[in-house]
Formats: sequence, C-alpha cells, structure tokens
Amino acid sequence: MCNACGFPTRPGHWTDAGATTSGDRLRLQLRRVDVLNKILRGYGFSARTPGHGPGFALASFTGRTTLLPDLETVWEEAAQQLGQPLDPLDPRFTRSVTSS
Amino acid sequence: MSDGRVTATPPVAEDTRLRLTIIGGYLGSGKTTWLRHQLFEGVFGKAHIIVNEAAETPVDDTLLSAQASGMTMLAGGCACCTGKADLVAVLRRLCDARTSLRAEERTQGQIILETSGLADPAAILDAIRQDGVLVHHIRVTEIIVLVDALNASDQLRTEYLGRAQIEAADRIIVTKADAVPFSILGRVAATAQILNPAAQIMAATKGQLVPLQDFSAALPFDLPIISGNEPVVPTKIDIGDDVDWATFSVWLSALLYARGADLVRVKGVFRTPAGPILIQAVRKSVQPPELLPLEAAINQNKMIFIGRGYIGDDLRRSLDFFAS
Repeated sequence: MCNACGFPTRPGHWTDAGATTSGDRLRLQLRRVDVLNKILRGYGFSARTPGHGPGFALASFTGRTTLLPDLETVWEEAAQQLGQPLDPLDPRFTRSVTSS
Repeated sequence: MSDGRVTATPPVAEDTRLRLTIIGGYLGSGKTTWLRHQLFEGVFGKAHIIVNEAAETPVDDTLLSAQASGMTMLAGGCACCTGKADLVAVLRRLCDARTSLRAEERTQGQIILETSGLADPAAILDAIRQDGVLVHHIRVTEIIVLVDALNASDQLRTEYLGRAQIEAADRIIVTKADAVPFSILGRVAATAQILNPAAQIMAATKGQLVPLQDFSAALPFDLPIISGNEPVVPTKIDIGDDVDWATFSVWLSALLYARGADLVRVKGVFRTPAGPILIQAVRKSVQPPELLPLEAAINQNKMIFIGRGYIGDDLRRSLDFFAS
C-alpha cells in the first residue's frame, strides 16, 4: 500500500492480472486510459493516469477530478455522478463499425 | 534481475491459496447424502467441512463428521445473506490456522462448504471476493449444484432460487436418479443444460454416480418467466488479434458493472503479456484470474457469455467498437 495515498486498500483488482513486470504494468495502465476514454467521452467524462502511481484520475463534466484506485471504482464513481452506470451495450457502442 | 539473466517467460507462481468447493442445491436435494458418500470414497482427501443450515437446529453434522478432518457447523442463518458474517469469520479462522502449518502441509487441505438449501452460491462467491483477507487466501475451485430429479420440475417452474443455483454451477449433479424413469431423468438434465449451458451434468443415486444417457433429444420442462427473468442465452465470442488485454479488461469490467446482474457467467482464457489467464465471473463477481501454463492455453481468446437482457451480437459489436 502507498503510504501517501492509502491505495490500494484492497488486493489488486482482477483487471490488474496479466501484467507481471513493471514495464507491462505501465504499458497496460497507459493503454487502458485510451480505451477508458472511448467509453467515458460519450458521457462527458475523461480519464488520465494520476502520474505518480496506479489507478486513474477521472475528470467529470462538472470539472471535478477524482483519484480512483482501479477500474471498479471508476465505474462506481461515474455511475454515482451520472445517476446510472455507463453501459457498453448502449446503442451508441453497438452500432456496426467498419473494422479499420 | 540483479544477476543479469534474461528469462523469456517468468515462471508461473504456484497458487497456494486454500481451495474451497461450494456445494449447493435446493432444500432436500441430497447435498449431505452426496457429500457423505464422496467423503467416504476419499474424493476430497483431507477436507475441512463447513455445513450451513438456515434452520436453528442442525441435523447434518453428525452424519458428516465421521469422515472429515475437521467440521464446523453454521446454524441459524443462510451464509449468503443473514449468516454471511459468520461464514467469513469461520473461513478467516481456517486461513489463520493454516498459516501456522509447515509449507508442505499447507498444500494438502481444502474446505468443502455445504450451503443451506436457501443459499445462492454466487452470493457466497461474492462475499469471499469482497473480503480483503479471504480473497488472498481462498480460491474457489468448483461450485457443484445438486438437482433433485424427483422435485426439479415443480421447483424450477416456480422457484427463482432453484434456477439461480443451477445458473451458478460449474458442475450439476442430478440426484435421486433411481427414483424417476430414464425419460424424466433426461428431461431434468436437459432443463438444467438450458439454464446453464456451460456446466457439466452428471447423475447420481445416493451419492454414487450413475451413467446419464444422452439427453440431447429430451424435452426440457417448460420454464415460465418468473418476475421478468427470461432464460439465459449463451454467446461465444472469438476474440480477434486486434483486441488486447487492456481493451478487453476495460470493456469486460464496464460490462460486468453495468450488466452484472444479467450476466450469469463469463468464462474463457485470454492471452495477456504475462501469459494466458483463466477468467471466470459469476454475476458481478470475478475470481482472481489464474495464470495458466502456456501449453494449457489451446482454447485461448474464446469467451463464453451466458446471460439475459441483451442481444448476443451486441456484445461483439460493442467489443469491436472499443477495439477499433
């Protein structure tokens, strides 16, 4: 656990499996922010890495930025601010896309 | 690495967590009878048994304690709801006791949890995952659900719980196989297969496995919709090379957060930078993924989704959207 911020309080989120070296972990975190933004953008949110450790910084349409330890808490926080969960099966994401 | 060696693949760390098998099934489905026979035959080796009874007065413990290495009785509250705290306390105590063992002794033991007939195994799985201590120390290896051949048709027609138990199973055992004609046995098995297309189905009489004839042609029971619950549908997705682990993990975690209640099971092997990992989710609860040896990953990048309330093709289209 990080002494400064107390993260992560829980054992790693399941999504953190699959990267065992520090290089892989960093790459995974950066790649994830890209993917995360594809779903967040449609709802007025954006995410970036907090710059100093694991997790994500979630900025919302109100200008509020929240530091969150893992993906689970990102969905939770977004759902709370929005009043409903972000749904990957929302029609905006399931319209046929031509594979590039 | 300090000695300058370069290893292409880091060795897969052995999972040393305590194994836990959950045995579920409706009231009177024959859980204790089945378990007693398995213990007698030594199927579970040196196991500590936890028996949960929703009722205040326990009866099962005397039947079971003879063959077990240890036995804990949890009476007066179902472990998936009112008795959850008690179950967590017992499991923590067992984990605690195990840490004082020598390393070579630790690999032997396992826990068998016989749930009460009112328990939803998925809720128990969730309780373990939510606990900051247990999640490090316990690995749920299998959920076995017993289905009573004699009463299944009535129960499954009317009881949501009976269906939820079957949906959560890795393995389904149709009990009391000798009490019904083969045709009914086949229909029970076919119904169970519809509720949980991914589970392995077997039949047993008084704890002993009996051959189950091919039931693919058997007519499943009518399953009327209970409180808006349409039957689950399996969807298999072949994950293309353009979907990396970052994309898939973000997508799946969002999907489980939004649709977890409708996604009964997700299962498959995914290729990650660290190696193939086994992903298993029951409703919102994802088990800590297991890193598999490379050769075990023949079926990698195929995922099975079993759920309701969505169109299977939408899963593919949505994943494509995030991968593009």
